[in-house]
Amino acid sequence: MTVSTDYTAQEIIVVAGAKILEDKKIVFVGTGLPMVASLLAILTHAPGLIPVFEAGAVAPPLKHGLPISVGDSKTFTGASYLKGLNAAFELTQRGYADYGFIGGAEVDMYGNLNSTMMGAFPADYAKPKVRLPGSGGASDIAASCERTILIVPHDKKKFNERLSYITSPGHLDGSPDARRKAGMQGKGPHRLITTKGVFDFDEKTKRMRILQTFPGETVESIQANTGFELLVAPNVSQFQAPTVEEVRLIREVVDPDGAFVKRVAK
Amino acid sequence: MTLKEAVARFVKPGSNVGIGGFVNTRQPIAICHEMIRQGFKDLTLSWQSAGLAPELLAGAMMVRPDHCSIKRIELAYWGHESFGLSPAWRYVAERGLIEVEDWSNYNMSARFKAGAMGLPFLPTRSPLGGDIKNTSRTKIIDCPFTGRPIGLVPASHPNVGLIHVQAADMYGNCVIRGGESTCAEIAMASDFTIVTCEQLVSHELIARNPEDTTIPFPAVDAVVHVPFGGYPGACRRSYYFNGDAIREYLGLITPMVKGGSADGLKAWFDKNIFGVETFEDYIEKFSIKKLLADQLVEFHNDERLA
Repeated sequence: MTVSTDYTAQEIIVVAGAKILEDKKIVFVGTGLPMVASLLAILTHAPGLIPVFEAGAVAPPLKHGLPISVGDSKTFTGASYLKGLNAAFELTQRGYADYGFIGGAEVDMYGNLNSTMMGAFPADYAKPKVRLPGSGGASDIAASCERTILIVPHDKKKFNERLSYITSPGHLDGSPDARRKAGMQGKGPHRLITTKGVFDFDEKTKRMRILQTFPGETVESIQANTGFELLVAPNVSQFQAPTVEEVRLIREVVDPDGAFVKRVAK
Repeated sequence: MTLKEAVARFVKPGSNVGIGGFVNTRQPIAICHEMIRQGFKDLTLSWQSAGLAPELLAGAMMVRPDHCSIKRIELAYWGHESFGLSPAWRYVAERGLIEVEDWSNYNMSARFKAGAMGLPFLPTRSPLGGDIKNTSRTKIIDCPFTGRPIGLVPASHPNVGLIHVQAADMYGNCVIRGGESTCAEIAMASDFTIVTCEQLVSHELIARNPEDTTIPFPAVDAVVHVPFGGYPGACRRSYYFNGDAIREYLGLITPMVKGGSADGLKAWFDKNIFGVETFEDYIEKFSIKKLLADQLVEFHNDERLA
């Protein structure tokens, strides 16, 4: 297992995401890097992973390669159950999804995500500074899956105490039982993967906590790039760099066309 | 009925138009081309996740606001996944050109489902917690049975639904292959529905396997045979995404977000929509080689004997 010295920030996110996924669990997979990480997990330690895609596919084996959309034909082939959006989300609302795996552009210390707009809210809602695509299924996944795994590129301007807009609810304000009181189900954010490390959420305060630092990063360097105070787990470890084989799999097998994993230098 | 007749008859100024498909899969591209050719005014557009269909309609508004205008959008997602963000979405939203109501995919799907069921709303957990409930018409009540908070989302009843399917008969019985998206709900919820199909088949063939019918005939008001009607998006069993064409079109809009020239986009509309009579004329501009290649990829995605 030779460790790679040539990998990109997106590639280490994909490897970390894949490692968090457990075999034989039902994972509601959002678009983008979560799809890449799920396929890598299937090809490595989790061949029995059961993906659900919101356009309707439940449990496809993904034998035809990486879908470039959650409504891609490649998600339909070999699926066990294939209806439409309502069926996929009803199954999730009923509580059948063990994990939801989603991305966002902005995150706060309680794992709430924004993928709607940047700018003052509510003042600029009708004319935002930057308009993002919108929730898609992310807020549905966040409100109903048993646990969620989040991906957000690490950037001080995107790790904020207050979000421009809460698209996908996490632990809300961190108060006891906040999710249940709001009417949601599931335990909320379980892990966050960024370009700098892996985080969990403190059991009691629900605040974001550094669990693992990526190579080249320290607790201090990560805190310096975060717009709020992070908690630090008792035994922070260094996340091992991707292996040469993992990088090869991503580049040659999982995403050979660079649909989601762009070939930019780290 | 021709596509020209169907659009002229059912899409009116101020209509609420429901858009079928999902992102760039089975989007009603041919119908959107015809709408742009004829022009439209003050439309409301409703969908869950869409890509090229609104990108075309909004692109037309960006180059010919006198001819094409959108007033309001009710949506969950507008973008192109691996092909990137939607530049037209950024253009119209960041300039405050349209009213917006953000929902989630399940909120919009439940709204169409309520409409399809003939009910005024559906209860769902999914708008709770975040800001969607604050920027939409969601009502939160204490459930009369459990006492827990629950969200109510209002039915969506588009005036006209636009749906592209793999096969249909002349009465409007539709067969959808692959994910059904929210197409049946949109068709059922809409006052009128225009369907385009890759394959127009006899009613006898449909009636041999009625369990395959996803959209029943009473929900459909016009059926038009339009092969490649979802292209350059994808259509299960027929063709995969033409990523080059999608990227090329988006590339013409992207510079306009930051104030760049509209010339390239104008030229695209003149060449591909305003300068031709039918969608077939647009498809004719692609090389046979490329069309066959996109069909071939899809035949691998869903292998079957001829």
